[in-house]
Amino acid sequence: MKKTSPVYILIFITVLSIVFGFGISFVNYATEGLLKKNEALHRNRVIATAFMLPVAGRTAGDYEAAVRGSIESFSLTVDGKTIQAFRNKTTGETGFVFAGPGFWDQIRGIIVLAPDLSRIKNIAILEQKETPGLGARIEEPGFLNSFQGIEPAWDSSGGEFVIIGPSPDPSARNRIDAITGATQTSLAFMKAINADLAAFKKAYVPGKGARHE
Amino acid sequence: MSNGTAKLFLKDVWNDNPVFRQVLGICSALAVTNLLSNTLFMCAGVTAVTALSSLTVSLLRNVTPKRIRMIVQVLIIASYVMMVDIVIRAMAPDIHRFIGPYVGLIITNCIIMGRAEGFASQNRPLPSLVDGFASGIGYSMILITIALVREPMGFGTILGVPLPAREQWWHQWTIMVMPPGAFFTLALVTWFARNRLEKTMKAGGK
Repeated sequence: MKKTSPVYILIFITVLSIVFGFGISFVNYATEGLLKKNEALHRNRVIATAFMLPVAGRTAGDYEAAVRGSIESFSLTVDGKTIQAFRNKTTGETGFVFAGPGFWDQIRGIIVLAPDLSRIKNIAILEQKETPGLGARIEEPGFLNSFQGIEPAWDSSGGEFVIIGPSPDPSARNRIDAITGATQTSLAFMKAINADLAAFKKAYVPGKGARHE
Repeated sequence: MSNGTAKLFLKDVWNDNPVFRQVLGICSALAVTNLLSNTLFMCAGVTAVTALSSLTVSLLRNVTPKRIRMIVQVLIIASYVMMVDIVIRAMAPDIHRFIGPYVGLIITNCIIMGRAEGFASQNRPLPSLVDGFASGIGYSMILITIALVREPMGFGTILGVPLPAREQWWHQWTIMVMPPGAFFTLALVTWFARNRLEKTMKAGGK
């Protein structure tokens, strides 16, 4: 068969696609267990970090044991949206998964609040694909630690419970500094947190759990 | 390594370096060089994809219809990139979370397509493998050099480890980890490398 004939070309490209498709599937299959393990480790590590849990070591089992021993998870539903939430069984601190569009892709994280929701205890990042060295610095402890202890302005009419960046009152107790060189990521992060704080506040009653209307 | 293979290797790594001589792979040279750890994984990924793609294109060169050779090359390169992406995600998930978007973009790295079309499609498998691998090494050499300038100057760290007593003798230049820092450093590294190359060539009577 001539190499220029349409039939040859069709057969050639089909066979090549099947071979490489099989190759990719094989690599994916071979690493599936590792990928799942990594995912579970990452999730447990982020939960443990967000709730500042004491962890015995640094293995996947250590993080899993820490989370299983201290954290209970539950779901909240508000306006058709489901929020995955967590509660520290010992301290009563409550956290939930927030998500929103970042500069490049979705940003997801866990925000932990004091039992009475008066203060933010901590924030940790589950997933982000911001610019390395710039927006990706939202994952650095220097930035995340600045959230610890800030007091969301629950009475804010504009929904700006937390302000990241400039504010008319620079000493406001709900404000932290934005990341230099990553204004858009900082803004996106602020919007994601505030939108999901609003939803969480609507759905959750401190000390009781889900709000039933 | 035979004399011919060594010459080919040296040519791709230095004399015809893909970054400072052919001005290819510039996008990722700018994008992932603000942290050395990210750079190392990117370099490993690009080197593996370039070597394997060149080898595969060469193995198939006699059965590939000329009219669709570019499509075939893209299919091969994209497949290897997906495999590399999965492997990095499995082996180094923390690094993957930072460079994941750029790993996908290896598909569009001009070096890989350039070596596949310019060399591998007309040469035997072993030289093609060496050519692809050497081009990846040449690319890596420049990226690592740039990262070794940008990360210490911008973050005051190397591979995430803080430089000793950095607060006392260095004020971090944020601009070095931002895009302008990449342009400055790439230009300086290119100027230095081309200058060295010219001197070497003159000394060699070429």
